[in-house]
This record gives sequence, structure tokens and C-alpha cells, in this order.
Amino acid sequence: MPENCEATITLTGDLHARPAGALSVAAAQFSSAVQLAVGGGAEVDAKSVLSVMQLGASSGQEVTVRAVGPDAQEAVDTLIGILSEASKVGD
Amino acid sequence: MAARVGIVLVSHSAALAEGTAELAGQVGGGTVTIATAGGTDDGRLGTSIEKVSSAIRRADTGAGVVILPDLGSSVLTVRTLLADEPDDLPGPLEVADAPFVEGAVAAAVTAAAGGSLKAVLDAAQEARNARKL
Repeated sequence: MPENCEATITLTGDLHARPAGALSVAAAQFSSAVQLAVGGGAEVDAKSVLSVMQLGASSGQEVTVRAVGPDAQEAVDTLIGILSEASKVGD
Repeated sequence: MAARVGIVLVSHSAALAEGTAELAGQVGGGTVTIATAGGTDDGRLGTSIEKVSSAIRRADTGAGVVILPDLGSSVLTVRTLLADEPDDLPGPLEVADAPFVEGAVAAAVTAAAGGSLKAVLDAAQEARNARKL
């Protein structure tokens, strides 16, 4: 039975292009569907880097990672980890 | 590590091709081979069949190559090359009908994630629908 997992993190910096790329590369390693949303807004496919960039997530905003599938928990943990690091990296 | 799909950026401008390759390469995390074919053989604005051919050979690491032309005659140059000498080139090859910068970034990320040739082509072409605002 597929898991459905979700976690939220508050960004301490803006989500720039390179961390957006890292998120999408990481999300693509999981068979679960992985979605991102900013501040309770519309969800986008984390595996699509252009969609992730289009979120325009910036410092102080809450980003929610939601995954549905056999490796959902691992996917959420991995992406939250990248988001917590991403804010410290430059563009 | 399994071979990644390679990417060739074909632009009328060498600077545009190289800058786009730099951006896409960094967003993709630096694990994808992105080769450029920008400008004419004598360094003017334009495209060169020889440069495209050479870039395809450099980009190929065994999983195929997606070629992104920028505008107009760069598409024609790529098509002419593929029509004339497909046996001399590594393959399989796909030409993406995609916006140059967005397509390159999306293709690089999908290739970095280990995506198939079709997945990389689709990622580039889906960039046609990407909104900036």
C-alpha cells in the first residue's frame, strides 16, 4: 500500500536555480510522486525543475513537500534535507 | 555510474551557447555532458555543420544525445547534418523543439537524474509550457 507523507519547512533563504535543480534531480530518484507547494498554494511536480523554479519560493516562506508512493517517507526526508541546505547556498 | 544522455546546444552565438551550457550545467549539478556548437567556423554569428557534428561526438557518452537548436537556421543546420551523414554520428539522436534556455535547463536536470533519451527530450519540450510569472 502506498504511503502518503508530508512535511513542511520554513526557508531561511531564497530557493535559487541550483538548489531547484538539486531538488528535481533528487526527486526523480524516487518512484513516488513528489509535489511541492509554497504557503499552502498550488502543488507542482518536484521532478520538473522549471515548475520548482516557477514557485519562486523565498526566505521566510513555508514549503510543503508531499509524496505518495512506496518510498514516500524517504523522498520527503531527502527533499526537506535539500531545502534546509538550499537556503544557505547562493544562486 | 550509468551513462547519461548528452546534450548539444546549437546557437548562432558562441557566447549564448556557452552561457546557456554553463547555466544548465550548474542547475543540473555538473554531472551531464553538455557540448556547444555556437557561431560559424570563422567566429561570426551563424551555425556550422562541422561544429554541430563535433559537439554531438563530444556529448555522446553512450546513452544518446538530445540536440537543442536556438532559432531558425540552426534548426536547418541540424536537420541537414542528420539527413546527410547519420551513419558517421553516434546515436541515437533527438532534436528538441523547445525554448533554448528553459529547454536546456530542463534537459540537463532530467539527464542528471539518469533519465532516458525520451525523458530528456520530453523534459526539454515540456518547457514550451513553462510559465515564468
